[in-house]
Amino acid sequence: MASQQMNRLAAGGLIDRTTPLSFTFDGKAMTGYAGDTLASALVANGVKLVGRSFKYHRPRGILTASSEEPNALVELRSGARREANTRATTTELYDGLDALSQNRWPSLGFDVMAVNSLLSPIFVAGFYYKTFMWPAKFWEKIYEPAIRRAAGLGRTSGVADPDHYDKAWAHCDVLIVGSGPAGLAAALAAGGAGARVILTEEDPLVGGRLNSDGGEIDTIPAAEWADAALGELRSMRNVRVITRTAVFGVYDGGTYGALERINDHVPVPAKHQVRQRLWRIVAKRCILAAGATERPIVFPGNDVPGVMMASAVRTYIERFAAVPGKRLALFTNNDDGWKTAETALRAGVEITAVIDARKNVPAHCRALAENGDFALYSGNVAGVRGGKAGISQVEIAMADGRRATVSADTLAMSGGWNPSVGLASHHRGRPKWQAEIAAFVPDGCPPGMTVAGAANGELSLGACLRSGHEAGASAAMDCGHAAARYTAPAATDESVAIAPLWHVEGKQKAFVDFQHDVTASDVALAQREGFESVEHLKRYTTLGMATDQGKTSNVTGLAIMAQLSGRSIPQTGTTIYRPPQVPVAIGAFAGHHRDENFHATRLTPSHHWATERGAVFVDTGLWKRAQWYPLPGEKDWLESVTREVLAVRNGVGFCDVSTLGKIDVMGKDAGVFLDRVYINAFSSLGVGKARYGLMLREDGIVMDDGTTSRLAEDHYYLTTTTAKAGPVMQHLEFCRQVLWPELDVQLTSCTDQWATFSIAGPNTRDLLREIVDPAEDLSNEDFPFMGVREVQLRGGMVARLFRISFSGEMAFEISVLARYGDALARNLMIAGKPFGVTPYGTEALGVMRIEKGHVAGPELNGTTTAGDLGLDKMMSKKKDFVGRVMAGREALVAPNRQVVVGFKPLDKARRLRSGAHVIPRGAPIGPETDHGYVTSVCYSPIVGQWIGLGLVERGRERMGEIVRAHDPLRDEDYEVEICNPCFYDPEGGRQRG
Amino acid sequence: MVDFVWNVRSPLQQAVVPGRAGAIVAFSGVKLAEIRDFDLVQIFARRGQREATAKAVKKHYGVEAPAPRQAVFGKGATLIWSGPDQVMALSARKPGTFRPLDAMRESFESIASLSDQSDGRCLIRMSGPQVRSMMAKLTSVDLHDSVFPVGAAATTSIDHAAVNLWRSENSEDGSPVFNVLVFSSFADSIWHTIVDAAAEYGIEIETRPAASS
Repeated sequence: MASQQMNRLAAGGLIDRTTPLSFTFDGKAMTGYAGDTLASALVANGVKLVGRSFKYHRPRGILTASSEEPNALVELRSGARREANTRATTTELYDGLDALSQNRWPSLGFDVMAVNSLLSPIFVAGFYYKTFMWPAKFWEKIYEPAIRRAAGLGRTSGVADPDHYDKAWAHCDVLIVGSGPAGLAAALAAGGAGARVILTEEDPLVGGRLNSDGGEIDTIPAAEWADAALGELRSMRNVRVITRTAVFGVYDGGTYGALERINDHVPVPAKHQVRQRLWRIVAKRCILAAGATERPIVFPGNDVPGVMMASAVRTYIERFAAVPGKRLALFTNNDDGWKTAETALRAGVEITAVIDARKNVPAHCRALAENGDFALYSGNVAGVRGGKAGISQVEIAMADGRRATVSADTLAMSGGWNPSVGLASHHRGRPKWQAEIAAFVPDGCPPGMTVAGAANGELSLGACLRSGHEAGASAAMDCGHAAARYTAPAATDESVAIAPLWHVEGKQKAFVDFQHDVTASDVALAQREGFESVEHLKRYTTLGMATDQGKTSNVTGLAIMAQLSGRSIPQTGTTIYRPPQVPVAIGAFAGHHRDENFHATRLTPSHHWATERGAVFVDTGLWKRAQWYPLPGEKDWLESVTREVLAVRNGVGFCDVSTLGKIDVMGKDAGVFLDRVYINAFSSLGVGKARYGLMLREDGIVMDDGTTSRLAEDHYYLTTTTAKAGPVMQHLEFCRQVLWPELDVQLTSCTDQWATFSIAGPNTRDLLREIVDPAEDLSNEDFPFMGVREVQLRGGMVARLFRISFSGEMAFEISVLARYGDALARNLMIAGKPFGVTPYGTEALGVMRIEKGHVAGPELNGTTTAGDLGLDKMMSKKKDFVGRVMAGREALVAPNRQVVVGFKPLDKARRLRSGAHVIPRGAPIGPETDHGYVTSVCYSPIVGQWIGLGLVERGRERMGEIVRAHDPLRDEDYEVEICNPCFYDPEGGRQRG
Repeated sequence: MVDFVWNVRSPLQQAVVPGRAGAIVAFSGVKLAEIRDFDLVQIFARRGQREATAKAVKKHYGVEAPAPRQAVFGKGATLIWSGPDQVMALSARKPGTFRPLDAMRESFESIASLSDQSDGRCLIRMSGPQVRSMMAKLTSVDLHDSVFPVGAAATTSIDHAAVNLWRSENSEDGSPVFNVLVFSSFADSIWHTIVDAAAEYGIEIETRPAASS
């Protein structure tokens, strides 16, 4: 089985050779081992070509061995789990893994769109903007779809993600990002001091470059030291190591976003397991030990399969025991790149040449070439030969002007290392240039963060360990943990000398951004066309966009721009760094909150009873409210609602109104308090009485309405509308705590304490007499309109009974403790059976309140005053109240304000629609003739046609006027009569029974 | 004349199914219990009556009133701090009774306002070796021993709904025990959120009367 893996070394590597795994790439069966990534398994199987590039469809191979990979993006999995643009370098191999290359048709080897490459002179930066400008209407229908087919990356599945994601919080003293030498040293120091530590590692293995670069720490081989350090950390109860977890953002107040890929390394998560988890980590201190990213050199042909980062070559050989090729050439401008030659030699790979761009190659490097018996060229790579099967030869332009060609199937390149400054810059930090390493390092961090190791430009192993240890100890001390048990681990400080090299000129394309196919000449074009600022360069060329966010290309691109524009690199500067540092699935941000769990829902105590009766529910804020109760044979909602309305008007019905906000207002100043929040008086309300109240916002606009009852001298029971329960409670608390702290008032929400039903209709009292204890007197004399009291119910229950009406009918509201709400609904059905009791929903409730001309949410819409609603007479002149002064402003008392009126279409068969605009007859349509609009509509079985309420300029003076209802949204225009908003029993005789 | 029967129904009656749920594991990582039949009264000191209320609490319940962000456990009741000048008193309900304020009025007359919340909240108790991992998905509160020891309380939110959260004595298996009072109307929804969060650890679900918990 393993014989297939022709590029796998016989021994070594951090792979489990006892666990072979099968997988397919573009349908071809291959094998690898546990511990492989998809990329390392492809390397082991000798696969060079893994994808086609974004714009030119150029053949591409694997460039890196880490999360910065721009090229090796695949479609992973199939069906609903199909996942585009998955980096092969971070995809852990699992048995049965199925990967497809992207952006090619019909096949990876033969891609018809590769013709784009021949047309490349026109596919330059800004190409789309320049070419597809005209005719404009072609863009949406023709150009864009065509471009999207030709360019672009992978395909999404197009169906809902079957996996689950969740979100969690974590808290610690010290968050350490990255578990390379600096991160491990920091964790040992901080953990040893007793601090609560979270160490995150993007990879499944801790150790970072220690797993790839060899070397010794405290005289132990580096990878073994990493393993021992992990063991030590795991033994500390105050330390938590989370692998497969990338910190992607730094937010306010020491909060960090991280993505844990819990089950990305298995085909399908086990039942009840989540795929990924989004962490919000709250940390007092953070140590950024995210290491550095090796950068490519921009030379002709640098994107041909087989050209690979030098550090990646080491990773494939050391960590995965997979050799990228048999004949290796190395192109470097720094000492670190030479490590690859050492690694390759140890693995028995033939080195055909090392091309060092520096004028003076250090002696120890020269010695290595001599001992290793390979050619050393001082100069640059001028081009490569080869194609989709990989490179075959490397062309060298030597410093002395001579040229040479060497044979190689792999070209390792190293342009130096860029510290991972992204997270340090998430609060708009701008990194500073450090000439010794020819790279940017952080310059100031978000509060609480320090940077250690390579991320801070300390590139040697010894320096990483020392700075990590120091950062860990000092962060622990900041959190009150003084005594560190550890001393800094020791290692040598190997040389990391570099002479910057950004761009080697030549005829072939030289790529800066591999993922977005941005070449050095695109950067030059941007400069010529005036896009010199790095932010403009990024937008114009798309350099640094897409899934890799330019981790391999940004610095090189701006360095080339600096050369072209005659500025220094620090003058040119970097683009702004923003989260996310690594790609995060939207599903992870949503977590549990999808489908029926999109938001929390609130259910009333009799919800399940209503469900049993087949109620149709409507979302009212978070509540599920019964909208109507269809009966078998009813053909639509209107039929059900009309039946419910008539049943109430002619008999008796009940409606669940438990969703209304309810607030206990207590204390000896409760009455005074309510006088100040309502426009009308409440301190004068007698115990055992209810009153309708209206409250204004501070600006004089109506906030909410409802009835408030006085249950005792120092206890009022205030109700709000369903929608405004929360805001009203907030407003009242503000009044209590901030405006009048001297008042003795206590507020408590008791919305959920009570189950409340409105019982309405001429037979209401008959029904109540069935269920209320016979000793209770419900007559008008003993229980008048707006009376409130506690009553005994049959069967040993007590209830609060309120004689209030929203429907215009004889009505009571009855409340019992919520635990008996379900029983009450069932008992009301029993008690009302002789009278044909009908449960009704919010639609029928709405019909009846419109018929009665009662205002509700659509009229209390944040623009209306008490006067607009016809309630200005309620405004007390004897007291002050919130909103009084502002309500007197000129514009709020202007005679031409839009006020509440009723509407009736002249055509009795016409359906009135809310939202229609009111235009005078014969007037042109426009904003200046728009006199108002329809707010609420219903079909009124009483009136026998559609009716509505609305707001109309000087409406009260215009009763009987015929106007147009103009509805451009539905393309309707019809005549309506402005009328009194009360369509039903205007004298109110029925509700007073 | 019909006889009316007044059956009690918990807001969680449908949602809570006693037994095992979630992942099938040898030992459930999370134990969830709906605690039923409790009385819950909000005690809210009148203006200027903070000390008097604390004294009245001590006299009535025999324990010191809880300090901010604390819960105390008296013989007959658990007292949970729920905001400035506010305490929730949680006790087992005597079967068939529904007027918990009656027995308290005398003690708190003109000192504190009382609001019966026995039906306004559901009480969910969570424990088990993985309870903290599960709670990390529900609350932003740091539940580490050093921050949230036994007797700690918080007024916070789960799934954007307000809750009172406190920690009581560790369970027999040594795992921490967290209690949350959730608004009754949210209970069904929050229960499903909790079960979702706990599913991967394996869940043991029960209901139990407050008197035997």
